[in-house]
Amino acid sequence: MRKWLTLILISVVLVLMACGGGGSEEVDADPTVDPEDERTLTIAVGTDMISFDIHNHTNTSTEAIHVNMFDYLVKRNNDTGEMESGLAETFELVDDTTWEFELFEGVKFHNGDELTSEDVKFSLERVAHDSELLEHTNYMQIEEVEIIDDYTFRIHTENPEPALLNRISRIGSGILPSEYIEENGMDHFLKEPIGTGPFKFVEWERDSKIVFEVYDDYFDGKNEEWDEIVFRVIPENSTRVSELLTGGVDIAVNMPPSDWDRIKETEGVSLAQEDSNRTLMIFVRGTEGYPTEDRKVREALDLAINNEAIVESLLDGSGTPTITRVAPGNFGFNEELYDTYNYDVERAKELLDEAGYPDGFEMTLHSPRGRYLQDAEISEMVAGMLSEIGVTVNVEYMEWSNFVEMRSAGENEDAFLLGLGNSMFDAANALDWYDYDRFEGTLDYYNEEIEDLLFEASRNMDLDERDAQYQKAQELLAEDAAAIVLHQESINIGVNDRVEFVPTMDEMIYVESITRK
Amino acid sequence: MASFLGRRILQIIPVLLIISFIVFVLVFVAGDPVVLMLPEDASQEEVELLRESLGLDRPFLVQYGNYVWNLLQGDFGTSFRYDEPALQVVLERFPATLELALAAIVVAIAIAIPFGIWSATKRNSPIDLVATGGAVLGKAMPNFWLGIMLILIFSVTLGIFPVSGRGTFMHVVLPAITLGTGIAAEMTRLIRSNMIEVLGQDYVRTAKSKGLRTVNVVYKHAFRNSLIPVITIIALQTSTLIGGTLITETVFAWPGIGQLLIQAVHTRDMSIVQASVMMIAIIVILMNLLADVLYRLLDPRIRYD
Amino acid sequence: MEAEERVKELEPSDFSMPKRRTIRNWFRLLWRSKTGLVGFVIVSLVTLIAIFAPFLAPHDPLEIDAMNVHQPPFWLEGGSMTHALGTDHVGHDILSRIIYGARVSLIVGVFSVVLAGIIGVVVGLISGFYGGWVDSVLMRLVDSFLAVPNILFALVILGVFGPSVMTLIFVLGVTNWVQYARLVRGEVLSIKEQDYVRAARSIGVKNNKLMIQHLLPNVISSFIVISTLSVATTIILEASLSFLGLGIQPPTISWGTILSDGRDYIATSWWLATFPGIAITITVLGIIFLGDWLRDVLDPRIKQ
Repeated sequence: MRKWLTLILISVVLVLMACGGGGSEEVDADPTVDPEDERTLTIAVGTDMISFDIHNHTNTSTEAIHVNMFDYLVKRNNDTGEMESGLAETFELVDDTTWEFELFEGVKFHNGDELTSEDVKFSLERVAHDSELLEHTNYMQIEEVEIIDDYTFRIHTENPEPALLNRISRIGSGILPSEYIEENGMDHFLKEPIGTGPFKFVEWERDSKIVFEVYDDYFDGKNEEWDEIVFRVIPENSTRVSELLTGGVDIAVNMPPSDWDRIKETEGVSLAQEDSNRTLMIFVRGTEGYPTEDRKVREALDLAINNEAIVESLLDGSGTPTITRVAPGNFGFNEELYDTYNYDVERAKELLDEAGYPDGFEMTLHSPRGRYLQDAEISEMVAGMLSEIGVTVNVEYMEWSNFVEMRSAGENEDAFLLGLGNSMFDAANALDWYDYDRFEGTLDYYNEEIEDLLFEASRNMDLDERDAQYQKAQELLAEDAAAIVLHQESINIGVNDRVEFVPTMDEMIYVESITRK
Repeated sequence: MASFLGRRILQIIPVLLIISFIVFVLVFVAGDPVVLMLPEDASQEEVELLRESLGLDRPFLVQYGNYVWNLLQGDFGTSFRYDEPALQVVLERFPATLELALAAIVVAIAIAIPFGIWSATKRNSPIDLVATGGAVLGKAMPNFWLGIMLILIFSVTLGIFPVSGRGTFMHVVLPAITLGTGIAAEMTRLIRSNMIEVLGQDYVRTAKSKGLRTVNVVYKHAFRNSLIPVITIIALQTSTLIGGTLITETVFAWPGIGQLLIQAVHTRDMSIVQASVMMIAIIVILMNLLADVLYRLLDPRIRYD
Repeated sequence: MEAEERVKELEPSDFSMPKRRTIRNWFRLLWRSKTGLVGFVIVSLVTLIAIFAPFLAPHDPLEIDAMNVHQPPFWLEGGSMTHALGTDHVGHDILSRIIYGARVSLIVGVFSVVLAGIIGVVVGLISGFYGGWVDSVLMRLVDSFLAVPNILFALVILGVFGPSVMTLIFVLGVTNWVQYARLVRGEVLSIKEQDYVRAARSIGVKNNKLMIQHLLPNVISSFIVISTLSVATTIILEASLSFLGLGIQPPTISWGTILSDGRDYIATSWWLATFPGIAITITVLGIIFLGDWLRDVLDPRIKQ
């Protein structure tokens, strides 16, 4: 018997030896932070970065990583919404279609090249002129970048462009090294990208991690807190939470509501919450033949939904009920319509009665699943609330890519749930969804007054007047119940107690603002 | 042997063609990925513009013809998502998946050999019951559930292993156990039944009756003879193994081909889907071929006809 | 297992003439195998639960009880018999969901296996009968399906067509037919070579009819065994696809969806993922036990 056990032992040992040869290098059992890693910041993200081609993606979480190695000409202050200088020391409006900028002197790319107007021209014109790039449509308003001297340049737009500064302080607004790219080619740049930012690129292991190290010659002063930042890609929610709880990562984004309490209760970690610029809303058809064509029906639906209850019971109170898509911090924000909601079941029933649906009606609601915080649950709850006024809602849940295709094919029925972000922080972008031409055949919402207001505002260089126009438009939209706006979604980030981090509304992760405790 | 090999290798070509056709049809039906590449608030104009510039509107047969022609030159198309040759993106991921798969096989062997032998020699004993019961249990548990449970117990509660990621030896343990149990189940059953068969054969009985000690009999004769099918089953399990990595890699954020594929399906990055399906198929086919060859080499009773 | 030895003593003729086996005989055989009996009891129970779900479930599985979210099972503090196995984050009754979920899980399992069986038999028959290039082409098709892992194939199809019960059945059927095709083809080929078939052919009997007559009793037992075990793998596969976000979508409920919805709560409300997990594990266990027993009793020739 003893020999027999030896046999088993031998086979186990053999197996373990084979295992050692099976592609593993060193042994490191301790998941807690060791002193040498103290100056390494590890951040868990849910999806991998898409590309280092800043012009060829539309992905906010990719930009959230990029902001640490590329700088923008101007930066939007997340607290005030004001534009502040980034790479450009000064910026001013010359005439309705021309802005003049002056760069800081002595800004250096990670390879030592100095930043000049030439780089700005190269970067902005690349995305403005190449229609194959995914960000092209947000930059095609730029006609030309005119170089005055090494540090001075002018941006000419085709039409008056009141939101130009918003356009150049978001995805695709980083300034690329023109010489480096022209010499080595874009492919080389994508493999070994350089920028002007506080951190420089080290390595990108797909679906695993992106590593940066501190840049000593950063023009705004070297970052003294961190030597290295590591973005780790962890798609599965529960795994990301576990990494946070075990100290495997310092910061973990997109914490699911199911784990909020657990994170709050666990010693050593906390949950940082902040309003995002994403609004959850239900779009309904204004198309002839649909009940929601009638303003009264739309208003009834809106009145029957208790936004507060959704936020309280499904989102643990995080998120803000609203009746406009334009959130605080955005240009054109209308305070009256924010942090409030319409709820009156009796009035809703009356309206349905007036509209000729005393017994209610049946409608289909398409809902994505797993895309936004509690999206499927929200749809389920909305259906429950609408049944109170006799409206039977058949919710069709869809996996995201199928949902997108359904919409793109124009197969949407009465209504669909969507969470819309707005990286421009300008009402123009948000209210574009009520433009008739843009959604002809799929939403068919038409309001002549809105059409006129939006058109005028879109090229009005008198900013105060423009602001008023957008506020007016939102009032009209709310009166008309053009869409059912639910709430502003929250950002939920898990933070280890050893670091100090306050999330910002734009969902970026500025390592410059993160400190050790 | 040579003619057998030659014939088997020739058969691979039509098989790959069929697979490429099926996958291509699926991709064609899937439509283009343009709408998914743009954000929620993209306009129809933006969609049209992008679709045009990507040139996604040629007839089916032309597209398939082009596709096969490019395949023959080793060109699997370009990934929309990464803007890089699909084959390159896929090949970059193979080492990670290979490491995980090898580790899983090791775990499976480590479980299956002792338990297989044990339960075969002590048939119907409590040990046998535990081993066979455990084997079935390993098959009956959904992989992702096991993985999440292992993380909760061994990483979060006990703090022995890191939660996720790839790197050190400790990182590979939990994913390997998650992936390995299913195969271990299959293997345990196989070893057990083979051992029972071999133990019942005349020469083993003779050896026993000559007074050789049980351990010797078990080890020298029975065990070695039952190893042949174990080697082949490892090769034959390649398909199951790779299928399992889809789940395991997602749970443990393991940067292998499984995660790549799932992301590609969700984002409709069809070049990646095509390339990885083809590469996986090639690997499975080669491993099956290897299994055949090994089986023939190791077991002299089989002739090459 | 005991059954293995016993079976060897039986003559092959016993298998081709199942008529002689009375139900009592079957039960006697079943009684003698511990695992077989356990498997049989589990499978019967689950099937009955699925069929009579509306009578057994204490609640409507879609009913939302906003006052009672995250309630633990009854034996824990805060739990009650109203929701015996607790509730989820919107107040669905877990017990009722599991009872109803059995339906979809079994329907998907059984129907996809039936579909796979039909495809497999047709391909196998054609391949075996005609031989030649038809056989070659079909066998390469079989090889193709063998070369792509099932879950991968399912993932791609579901990704393209969007997940629903029908697509799921279709997908799982289309990916699982290969083993049947091989089985039937092999049997046809071996029957073709048998003396009586050759003899019949030489005296001009329509051999197709004859062959089918002889084929059926020979493959039926293997068929049953493979099908049983396939149902088990299909249930697991369905759960895995749910985990990847491409399984059945609500409001339809399967064990896979309950389990995968509950996984975010494993650490906080463990019962959400544990009970459907146990349901799957036990059922699959039962099916495997039953399948193994059937294999031992019906057809000692096939192993693995």
